[in-house]
Amino acid sequence: MDWDQVELNPKVVHAVKRANVKTFREVLSLSGPDLQRLTKLSHADVHHLQKTVAAAVQTDPAVTALQLYRGECPFLEQHQKLSLGCPVLDSLLRGGIPLLGIVEIAGESSAGKTQICMQLCLSVQYPRKYGGLEAGAVYICTEDTFPTKRLQQLSGLQHKLRPEVPADVVKSITFCDNIYIEHAGDVDSLNSCISKRVPILLSRGLVRLVVVDSIAALFRCEFEAKDALLRAKHLLAFGATLHSLSHRFKTPIVCVNQVADAVGDSDLVQSNFGLLDKKVLPTLGITWSNQLLIRLMVSRTRFSLQEWLPGLAAQPWHLGSVLRTMEVVFAPHLPQSFCYYTVSIDGVRGVKEEPAS
Amino acid sequence: MQRDVASFAFAPAVKVRLISAGFLTAKDIRDLRPTELSKEAGISQQEALEVLQEVRRGPAEQGAAESRLTALELLEREQALGTVITFCSALDQALGGGVPVGKTTEICGAPGVGKTQLCIQLAVDAQIPGCFGGLGGQAVYIDTEGSFLVERAVDMATAAVQHCTLITKDTEQREALQSFTVETVLSQLFLFRCHDYVELLAQTHLLPDFLSQHPKVRLVVIDSIAFPFRHSFEDLSLRTRLLNGLAQQLIQIASQHSVAVVLTNQMTTRIGQNQSMLVPALGESWGHAATQRLILHWEGKHRFASLYKSPSQREATVSYQITPHGFRDVQLPDPSVIPADPSLTPGLNSRKRPRVEEGDPSDV
Repeated sequence: MDWDQVELNPKVVHAVKRANVKTFREVLSLSGPDLQRLTKLSHADVHHLQKTVAAAVQTDPAVTALQLYRGECPFLEQHQKLSLGCPVLDSLLRGGIPLLGIVEIAGESSAGKTQICMQLCLSVQYPRKYGGLEAGAVYICTEDTFPTKRLQQLSGLQHKLRPEVPADVVKSITFCDNIYIEHAGDVDSLNSCISKRVPILLSRGLVRLVVVDSIAALFRCEFEAKDALLRAKHLLAFGATLHSLSHRFKTPIVCVNQVADAVGDSDLVQSNFGLLDKKVLPTLGITWSNQLLIRLMVSRTRFSLQEWLPGLAAQPWHLGSVLRTMEVVFAPHLPQSFCYYTVSIDGVRGVKEEPAS
Repeated sequence: MQRDVASFAFAPAVKVRLISAGFLTAKDIRDLRPTELSKEAGISQQEALEVLQEVRRGPAEQGAAESRLTALELLEREQALGTVITFCSALDQALGGGVPVGKTTEICGAPGVGKTQLCIQLAVDAQIPGCFGGLGGQAVYIDTEGSFLVERAVDMATAAVQHCTLITKDTEQREALQSFTVETVLSQLFLFRCHDYVELLAQTHLLPDFLSQHPKVRLVVIDSIAFPFRHSFEDLSLRTRLLNGLAQQLIQIASQHSVAVVLTNQMTTRIGQNQSMLVPALGESWGHAATQRLILHWEGKHRFASLYKSPSQREATVSYQITPHGFRDVQLPDPSVIPADPSLTPGLNSRKRPRVEEGDPSDV
């Protein structure tokens, strides 16, 4: 730690160095009397030392909520959100995905999680006034190989999905070039990916979105039931790394999670999230849930769009689509709510009207 | 003044030397010179000087905590401090008026149950003017998780201002309402962001000075205290020591600056013999840290708040809900809808509880 950046009496600095207290962290972690004993300084000196070191660690000034609301706070950007590429889905989330924090998308297989993630990877590349962040995305695959053909299909049809964006803007973005795909087969390679390779991409400004698809796959198979504590430790460390990445680079992190059947006798588990009527619950337990800012659950319904809204199906992009639901399970600024959506050839679109029946 | 040397705030080593040299009360020390004291007690000149300065200060200059108080004075002081209401009247009643100023309260709960909602609600409610039953103070919000989203604070502030506007009766309240708007509420909510436990420790060291510069602050929220302490601790005893130190500092801040300190904690699973339970995180010893403990939980689709530990209130469980306006009571069915006139059918009075209930504790 750099003792030159704090204004301290040289006598104090000398005493601290002699006591082998090297970092700011140690200064703050030791109690006042302990520091007095180690450095043989007086009570007042130690008090002043701790306050000076604290001021050097916490450099951001106090901010009022009004300044935050008015966007006058560069280190706590809350106005800008990442759009999902569809106005209906964006309004479910009150604008889109916040820039700071981890968003989870949980659901059974073929509910549409990967489709939503791919759409996010495309929408992040748009200019800010169209809800993007003007940078690419890094997509970490842990299960199947990345569906490159589908990505190419989606990027070719972006002008159809986003008619509000001028055609020349859409044409000018080379979508596929800005999406970096990583593969991680086990927990160690996933950790090395997010602690070494992803920060490089983020620090160069090449990407402003990190997608992990999925986290459940690795953590569920590498840890058996009896290793619950070890798994919890790894999950906590993993979550902490993601959080620090998100805050250092003001980048949203989207994690895909699987779901498992809710076992009948564990009303305890069900009642944890108020999801009483659900037959499936997100995996990885409460340890992972504690790290999330927003949890979304997606699922397929048994119905197709024509059955519910015959009038709407006349539009070409909804033809033959299975109706799916996206539900907000918890979020600090959203009520528990849901909306319907479909996956069509050009991407994911929300359905606005409520079904009649 | 016959005050014991041991009761002064000196370093332990200095105290031991003074007492073993025979100085037992303040009177013994007061009239000495620094050089005499340092030679007699075997302490350094500087230490002797500090000791004499402390001893010679009159009782009026020493901290209020060190002067003598009767229990009645203490009770009056506590009642004068007030509480921060939660806008859920059932919970306020269970807490004895609201979250008490001058004490630390811990709120535990699973993700999504409403801890952050309650914290933001309290940060808005602390600012309600005195003539509406609030404290008219400012609020400090220390966010360690990044879950403070300002649009939610705007929602809650708007609802609180609207509520006060609707119940305004006299001119005093109307005047107070001039300075109670959404903008002023947001401008009096101070936000700090801590990304790890070192920053949180640093912030706690800087908090007393901030509170001295902003004497109108009546609420300090730390949301959450669990998050930065649950990872990167190989040595759990270090974590326990840091948490204990933090708790002590917060209790001191709460009483010295007359603020209500609210801490949020997460839940973790504890595997029992044949079932697993959710318990508050951060270990058993953390359970002793806060004065009051509130646990928020789901039962089916409903949310409940249980007062688990309190020195002055009974254990109670109340139900609450989160609306777009914030943290509120659950709406009970409207009693005016019940049609029968109770005086005409004395035997069939459906509004009265039957006199003997199953499992009535008074029968036991």
